[in-house]
Amino acid sequence: MGEQGKTLAGMLADWGLALQPLVCERCDWAYLAPVGAPPARCPHCWQGPLTPVEQADGLPYAAPPELVLPFTVSEAVLALRVTDFARHIPFAPRDLHPAALKARLQRLYLPLWLVDGTVEGTWEASAGFNYQVVSHQEYYSDSQSAWATRELQETRLRWEPRVGQLKRTYQNITAPALEEEARLREQLGSYHLGAAQPYQPEVVTQAAIRLPNRTPDDAWPAAVPAFQATAAEECRQAAGADQIREFRWTPTYTGLHWTLLLQPVYATYYLDDEGVPQPVLIHGQSGQLSGARRASWQRAQWLALILCLVAVALGGLSLLAAVAGFIAPPLLPLAVVGLIVAALVGVGALIPLLVVWQFNRRLSPGSR
Amino acid sequence: MSESFPPPGFVAVPSAVEGIAVYAPALPETGPHQEVVDFKCPRCGAATAYSVVDGGLRCAHCGYYESPQAPAVGKAAPQFEFTLEALEPTARGWGEERRELCCQSCGAQLSLPPGQLTSTCPFCGSNRVIQRAAPQDLLRPRFLIPFRVENEACRQIARTWLGSSWMTPAALQQTARVADFVGIYLPFWTFHAQAAAAWRAEVGHTVTERYFQGGQWRTRTRTVWQWKSGHVQRRFDDCLMPGTGKVSRLLLRRIQTYDLQGLVPYKPEFLAGLHAQAYDIPLEQAWESARAEMREQTRKAALAQAGSTGAVRNFSMTLDFADESWRYILLPVYLAVYQYQGQPYQVMVNGQTGAIAGQRPVDWNKIWLAVGAALAPGLLLILIGLVTAMLGVGVAVGGIGFVLLVIGIVVAIVLFSKAQGLDDA
Repeated sequence: MGEQGKTLAGMLADWGLALQPLVCERCDWAYLAPVGAPPARCPHCWQGPLTPVEQADGLPYAAPPELVLPFTVSEAVLALRVTDFARHIPFAPRDLHPAALKARLQRLYLPLWLVDGTVEGTWEASAGFNYQVVSHQEYYSDSQSAWATRELQETRLRWEPRVGQLKRTYQNITAPALEEEARLREQLGSYHLGAAQPYQPEVVTQAAIRLPNRTPDDAWPAAVPAFQATAAEECRQAAGADQIREFRWTPTYTGLHWTLLLQPVYATYYLDDEGVPQPVLIHGQSGQLSGARRASWQRAQWLALILCLVAVALGGLSLLAAVAGFIAPPLLPLAVVGLIVAALVGVGALIPLLVVWQFNRRLSPGSR
Repeated sequence: MSESFPPPGFVAVPSAVEGIAVYAPALPETGPHQEVVDFKCPRCGAATAYSVVDGGLRCAHCGYYESPQAPAVGKAAPQFEFTLEALEPTARGWGEERRELCCQSCGAQLSLPPGQLTSTCPFCGSNRVIQRAAPQDLLRPRFLIPFRVENEACRQIARTWLGSSWMTPAALQQTARVADFVGIYLPFWTFHAQAAAAWRAEVGHTVTERYFQGGQWRTRTRTVWQWKSGHVQRRFDDCLMPGTGKVSRLLLRRIQTYDLQGLVPYKPEFLAGLHAQAYDIPLEQAWESARAEMREQTRKAALAQAGSTGAVRNFSMTLDFADESWRYILLPVYLAVYQYQGQPYQVMVNGQTGAIAGQRPVDWNKIWLAVGAALAPGLLLILIGLVTAMLGVGVAVGGIGFVLLVIGIVVAIVLFSKAQGLDDA
C-alpha cells in the first residue's frame, strides 16, 4: 500500500501515464481517466457529471495495480450480446437499440484485491465418503409363476469425523475492493484470474479505472471466508473424502501480501421512458451481459390510446348507422357488425398494456 | 477444538495433500493375529473354560473366575449394510487360536478350542474325524447369545422328550443311549429390510342378475373382473437364517425360539472350552434365502389385500427392498447323537431356552394299528349296512358308516403325516 503521505500527483505518477481523478457527484464512484479523454458521464450510473478531484483526501486508494485482466471479448461477441439484449422486447424504449448501445460502450476497469498468505492451525470437520450398497428389486407375475430379481447398486454417503493440522500457503484469494463487489459478481459472474498480466500503462489508456473504496484492512473480513473455503476443500482432498461439512479451524495467518487487480468491463446504457439512463454492463472476458430490459409503458399507452380512439370512432359510426337503419333497414346489420368490431378493438386496446405489464413483471432488473 | 491434539482415540491416516495432516478415529479392532488369545488361568496356569452357570471364564483347577464383561445389547446390536465391501471385512477369524474338526462322514467342519480332544462328530456321531488348524480368514461374528442352559439339564430334557410321544417305541426312553451333549455355537445371519410392494391384479366380484328366458324370470350369478392395484409395506426385523447347512434345517427351525434381546458383543472368552461352527453358507446366499422368505410373505400380504374383496387372477407385483442390513451372530445349541437299535439319531437343544427337537424312531406297528382302529368303525358299519340293506335299515347304517370312514381316513392321514414327520426329521 504505502500511499499514505504521498501527494495526489505522486500517487498518479506511479501509474506511468497521465490520469485524471474524477468522482461522480450522484453515485460517488471515483475514477481515474486519461487526461484529455474523460468520460462524459459516470460509467456506473450514467447520470451524474464527473467532477475532477484535486485533493488526495478525496480518494480512498489511488495506487496503481500490480495485475490487469485484459479485455478479451471479441467485437463480434460484443455485437451479438448487445443485439440479443435489445431484441424481442415488446414496445422497447425508443433509445434501446443495438446501435445506440454499441455507440455508448465505455471501457471500464473494476478493482479486486488478491491476497496471498500462509495459514497454520488445526482443523476439524465431518468428512463424507461415498459408498456403494447392493439392493434388490423383485418382480412377480402369475403368468410366469416365478420371481425375477434385479440387483441395484445405490450410492450412499457416510459421515466420519476428521481432525488435522494444516500449514499451507494460499495465493490469489479474492477480497472485495468495492462495496458493490457482491452485486457486480452476481450480475457479471467471476473472472478467469489466470489470464492476469502485470500492469502496463498502455493497457489502461482507453479506459476509465474505478478506484477501490475498500482498503485491504476493510476487505480482510471478507477474505477470511474465502481462505476457509479453500482450506476446507484442501482438507477434503487430504482426507480422501467426497464431501466435507462442519469445517472448523483455528487459523494463524502470516506473510499476507495484497495485490490489486483490475477487471475489464464494458459499460453502456439506454434511456427509458422518463429519459433515465439504464446501465448495462458486459463482462470483459466472457461477454456476459447484465442490465434491465424494460418494455416501454409510453409506447404501449400510445398504441392503446390510438386503439381506443379507433374503437370510439367505429362505435360512433355504428350507432349512426343503427339510427339510419330505421330509415334504411339494410344499414342495421352493418351497424351491428360495426359495434362488435368497435368492442373488439376497444378490448384489444388493453393488450399492449397487459403485454408491457407482464414483460416488466417477468423480467426483473439484472436479467440478461 | 479440543485442548490436546490429536484428540484421544484419533490416529494419523494418510493425507493426499502435502502440508495437511489428517487424523481419524481409531478402528476398534486391528489385525486378527494380534488378537489371538490363549485362555490360561492367571493364577495356576491351567486352561480356563466358559462356565454356563457363572456366565464367565472358570478355572476347573483352582476355581479362578473371570467375567467377560459384555453387557447385553439385544436387538440394539448394530447392523451392517450390504456394501460392496461387506464380503471383504477387516475383522476376521475367531480372535483366538482354535483347531478345526473335519468330519469325513458328513463333511461338517467344527471349530474347537486348543487341547480339546474329541474323536466324535456331534452332527452325525461318526468317529471318522481329523483335526487341523482352524482358518482365520472367515468373517468374525460380532454378537452371540451365551449359553443359559447347563449341559446336565439337557440330558433330563432329552429323556423327557424321548418318552413324550406314543408313536415312538415303548423302550426308547429306557434303552436309548444318549451320548454327552456338546455345546456348540452355530452361525446365524439376521436380516432386516423394508419391503415396499406395488401389485396389480384382476379382482373378480360375484354379481347376481335376473334374466328372462322361456317365459319366466331366472337368476344367475357371474363374476365381473376389474383391474385393481394397491401397495403393501412390510418391515422385516431380525429374520433369522442359519449360517450352516450341516445341521438339519427342519430341526433347527423347531428350536429357533431364541430371544435376541440376549445378544452380547462377541468375545473369544464366550467360546473358551466350547465348540463353534463357522458359517458355510455365505452372506449372499443366506440373504438370497431370507429375501425369498420376505418376498413370499409380502406376496401373500398383497394377495390378501387384493383378494379381500373378491377372487384374484393375473396377479403381478413389483417389490423394492430398502434399508437392508445384516448381522452375523452365534447362537447356542446343544447337539447329541443317541443310538437306538444300532441307528444314530440327532437331538438338538436350544442353549438359551431349552427347546428340544430331534429325530425319533417311529414304531410303525403302533401307527398301522392306530390307522386300522381309525378306519375300522366306518368299514364295519358299511358292511353291516350292506348286509342289512334288505331289511330296509341298511341305507341309514351304511350312510353313518360312510361318514365314519371319511373321518377315519382323515385321522389316518394326520397320524401318518405326524409319524412321517418324526421319522424324517
